[in-house]
Amino acid sequence: MLAIPSLLAFGIAALPSLVPGDESAATPKDLFIRAEQLHVRPGRVLERGMLWVHEGRIVAVGTDIKLPEDALLIEGKVACAGFIDSWSSFALEPNAQFDDRAGPATRAVDAVDSYVDPRHERALLAAGVTAVRLQPTVGARAGGVGAVLRVHPSKSFAETTVIADACSATAIGVSRDGRALDVFERVSAVDRVVGALADGYGYLVETNEYRHELAEWEKKIADKQKELDEGFKKAKKDREKAQTEAKDKGNEFKDKEYKEDKKPKAPRFDEEKEVYARVAGGELPLVVEVHRALEIRALLEGTKRFERLRLVLAGASEAAQCAELLAERRIPVIVWPVPMGVQRAPEYRGASLALAAELDHAGVEVLLGSGAMDPLASRDLPLLAALAVGHGLPRETALAALTTRPARVFDVADKLGTLELGRSADVLVLDGDPFAATTSVRYVLSAGELVVGEVKK
Amino acid sequence: MKLHHTLTRAAAFALSACLLASAAAADGKLAIKAGRVLPGPGLPELEKATIVIENGRIAAIGKDVKVPWDAVVIDAPNLVAIPGYVEAHSARGMDRPNENLDVAPFLSVRDSIDPVGFYFEDSLRWGVTTINIQQGNNCVVAGQGVIVRPVGLTVDEMIVRTPSGVKLSASPKMGFSAATQAQTLRRAFGDLRRSLEQLVAEKKEGNDRARREALYQGRDLEGENAKGKAMEGAAWKVTGLELVPRGEIDEKLVPLLALVEGKLPAFIYCGRPMDVHTALEVAKENGFLAKTTLVLSPAAYKAAGAIAAAKVPVILDGNSVYVETDPLTGEEREVFVPGELKKAGVRFALASANPTTESLWFQAAQCVGRGMTRAEAVAAVTTIPAEILGLGKQLGTLEVGKFGTVVLCSGDPLSVTSWVERVVIEGRDVYDRSKDVRIKHLLGGQAPANTQIMGASLLGDPRKVVCCEGEDPEEHAKHLEEERAKKDKGEAEDDK
Repeated sequence: MLAIPSLLAFGIAALPSLVPGDESAATPKDLFIRAEQLHVRPGRVLERGMLWVHEGRIVAVGTDIKLPEDALLIEGKVACAGFIDSWSSFALEPNAQFDDRAGPATRAVDAVDSYVDPRHERALLAAGVTAVRLQPTVGARAGGVGAVLRVHPSKSFAETTVIADACSATAIGVSRDGRALDVFERVSAVDRVVGALADGYGYLVETNEYRHELAEWEKKIADKQKELDEGFKKAKKDREKAQTEAKDKGNEFKDKEYKEDKKPKAPRFDEEKEVYARVAGGELPLVVEVHRALEIRALLEGTKRFERLRLVLAGASEAAQCAELLAERRIPVIVWPVPMGVQRAPEYRGASLALAAELDHAGVEVLLGSGAMDPLASRDLPLLAALAVGHGLPRETALAALTTRPARVFDVADKLGTLELGRSADVLVLDGDPFAATTSVRYVLSAGELVVGEVKK
Repeated sequence: MKLHHTLTRAAAFALSACLLASAAAADGKLAIKAGRVLPGPGLPELEKATIVIENGRIAAIGKDVKVPWDAVVIDAPNLVAIPGYVEAHSARGMDRPNENLDVAPFLSVRDSIDPVGFYFEDSLRWGVTTINIQQGNNCVVAGQGVIVRPVGLTVDEMIVRTPSGVKLSASPKMGFSAATQAQTLRRAFGDLRRSLEQLVAEKKEGNDRARREALYQGRDLEGENAKGKAMEGAAWKVTGLELVPRGEIDEKLVPLLALVEGKLPAFIYCGRPMDVHTALEVAKENGFLAKTTLVLSPAAYKAAGAIAAAKVPVILDGNSVYVETDPLTGEEREVFVPGELKKAGVRFALASANPTTESLWFQAAQCVGRGMTRAEAVAAVTTIPAEILGLGKQLGTLEVGKFGTVVLCSGDPLSVTSWVERVVIEGRDVYDRSKDVRIKHLLGGQAPANTQIMGASLLGDPRKVVCCEGEDPEEHAKHLEEERAKKDKGEAEDDK
């Protein structure tokens, strides 16, 4: 078993000091980490590595750094970047999970409760999870815009939001209120997603066309204006002449009819289409929770024509059956290694603990997520990774699945996932292999602050 | 307490009529000779002082004040004079709050106030002399409120200011979640902005085209375009709004525009600490943070730090003691919310919208009981709510130049054994407990003429009175009893 500390271990006495806004014990200016193995990033391990954190930022990484004066020394066997849960509902308001009013433009950041029980935050940090991708998906018609946030015991989520627009998300064929969807509902769910993408793409094209047309029209009108300005004196004379002529003949004077090109009309604003336009244009990845092989295939087929779409599958219980296709299309999969004890809805029937390994073997980029079933599920993320490792996922890949891969997929690779110079430090110091059941997390730095573990000077 | 609700509306009319009559008599100059005067938080207490009110405002206050010869004098050597309490936020006194329309900034509470509602009558009994009536909390953008004095037979007569501000909520309305509530709230302002931008674009395009047409035809452009006003706003502005005459803007959007331009205060309800962040964000994004007051449920006290940092005042909506349950241990903890707000440095007003107490004085008394100073507690029901409502120069204390709104109590105003004996609102003598028929009925057991006690037979009340004016209630009751006996007898015979 990995070290997943019992909740009750955190005394109630700890409560008051952890309320957001309260200053917890100040972290010293300089922290120095010495580890037998320092994973700068998956695949790059420094033996007897050293890491210097100055005012929350990593200022030196190497094997031969002098211990700065007054630095707090932290020593351990293994150090690596903090884990990122690719699929979490931690700290989300429970109602947001099942809100039927939610649409593609609903934002996860609006549903985050900064005043979540601080013991829960502690539990996540103690398990090594320093960042989560939040998605109010389960049960909702559409998951809206997901966000990546750091977990920090005393900062509000407004301060720890790494990216507010991390992705768009939706679900296909997932049971609701304990009722499994029938086959027609499932097929129409695929159509709905593809249709929304088509609408979004149409909106994108329309918006771009409008921009071009408008620029053209403006140029044309500017030319015309110049021409009119120049011709005004003559036009005025002509008009006066025409007026006198009309008067002489006893006719009614009429001004010449003026014609010009109509100004192009902007497409009608639609907040949902706008989000899907960003998805279709590749700006936001689209995370789709889908489990059955049939629906996965239908989705892949339907989305083929959107070349810039960044599709990510989540759950994907039967993805092994179409692993080659996924590898070919380079579609990452967030695997939820279904733990024991979870009531299985029919869509999970094909799930297997070896899914991560099987997909990895076929060349699919595997990410790991806790599945957003329970706000505290993120705490079990390292355990789920260990299970995947136990079923054949290479250790290095597992580390990537918890660090660099989610950082890349959700566009936060410049901030999270590695221990590189200049970054705000999210570091774990463990007393052994990160994916061994006997290992415990000794120290955790989140946003450069020591949030788990005590060090004596 | 229950009994008085059972009286019919007829009594309300009777009472209001009597209030009005006395009010009319006291217009002009009024002098109150009180045994003690507590002019307000931080001001020295006066023994045996006189307050002279002229044209609705306090003209003089002190021990050796000369009473004008033509002033009506209220001689109250045994009473304590205090400034009237100010209710900064209340959803009572109206027909029903708007809970149907999500975004309805155009609605006004004004159209829904019931001047003869028991609530206003009761307000006088509790010494509340100014009330900001706002839509309920179950809303997104609920509408505009009004500030009233609880006296008058028509809404116009009651109004101190309209509109007093727009009521919004950051807390999920029924059927919403935090995410969709915030989305709807933001969308309201997004729609406003897009609508204004479109108006400007259309206007601009129209004007430009007209100019080009004139050039082409060789005409000189006549007259000037009707002028609008440039948009103001701390957070965002639509440039070119001066091209659009203000009258052309959809009037349904005008109150929201007033918010963004900082011309109308906002009252935002927050039911939970996380809602405070949404409220502050929306207010900041749209430039009305400086004009924002949070209507705070006690459960939201944990956000006190964020509120203090934003320098936004708070109206505490609900009980001042909040019982918190630990989700893991089930342990209960009592939190005294005004204490927490004070600790964080939040400026707060108390409100009487809570299930256990009827009025502001009790909220203030509770604060004193829990260790706050008297001045702090009284400020939370007088000066601070007055400042929140923008009436700090008119209300809150008894000082020369301010409204002549005085409450006379039988003793210490924060004591349970004291009564409100008389109320003067802006120089009008509007309430006298010795003439309060309902109180008389409650305490003396005497039904006023022309009233009916609903459900009296159910309550086992022997009087069961429905009598006409001038008729002796007891005789009438006897008569009714006889009628009833006759009827019962008749039914019994029919059964045979």
